[in-house]
Amino acid sequence: MTTSKTNPREPHSLPYYIADNTQLPSHIPSVPEVGATSAPLLSASYFIGARCAPYNEDFMLCRSQSRTGEVDCLKEGRRVTRCAISVLEDINKNCQNEFRKHWGCLENENHDLSRCRLDEAPLNACVAKFLNLTKVIPDSDGTPINVYETPSFFQKKVKAKYEQ
Amino acid sequence: MATSQDLPPKGGYDAIQWKRNLPSRGFRPSIYLGIMGAISLFGFWRLSVAMHMAREEKREKTWARIHLLPVLQAEADRDAVRRYYSTLEREKAIMKDHPDWADGKPVYHDGRMHLPSFVFLEDTKSAR
Repeated sequence: MTTSKTNPREPHSLPYYIADNTQLPSHIPSVPEVGATSAPLLSASYFIGARCAPYNEDFMLCRSQSRTGEVDCLKEGRRVTRCAISVLEDINKNCQNEFRKHWGCLENENHDLSRCRLDEAPLNACVAKFLNLTKVIPDSDGTPINVYETPSFFQKKVKAKYEQ
Repeated sequence: MATSQDLPPKGGYDAIQWKRNLPSRGFRPSIYLGIMGAISLFGFWRLSVAMHMAREEKREKTWARIHLLPVLQAEADRDAVRRYYSTLEREKAIMKDHPDWADGKPVYHDGRMHLPSFVFLEDTKSAR
């Protein structure tokens, strides 16, 4: 027993989670949430950035300029969420197999983008063909990291693994 | 009658080497230094290639996070606003009979909205 004169309460850890399940008040419009987990989001991040850049910048500008931040920028936040959902839906409609291969590889490789180049190439090609979205790294100085023939220890292992 | 004696061989023994025999072998030291320098330079070149690639990969990772930040922040904002309004309702319900209570009156006087920093839960299990 860890109760004593100075600590009368027994420690208790609950067998369930306590959650505040109140919904948003009805004067705030509801929006479907992005249900994706971290690996699909990382895989689709550059395509979300390509399509949703204006909405993202609008939202971050609103947040940095407003006094209260969260409450004032709910509308911009809804736009951002809807755009991200549209990107993920389109990828799943057109390129689902390549998408799943790529984020499955990321799940196995500690979310290391450089270890999944072999799965990233067909995904980038499919998305460029069907969605007209290209992966662009701004301010890049041109060092080739996207081509798996470049000298890198990991690329050779990945290549050998996939050509078994 | 000839007895057998332990005599030296005919022609005498071979000469004994008593002078030092230390032939100088190998290349001159500058060549070895050159070989070591060449290996080091090759290693430094490989290192610089790897560092450039690591920098670009870090750039790639950072930009992926930048593109995803608004989506996650918007979701967190909605959750924070939901909890804020839930706290207001809870306070209203608890203090509805209190004469000096003003609903939603802020504790701070700087004019900004502050999200709730505490969560008050029902006390169901402590033994009093």
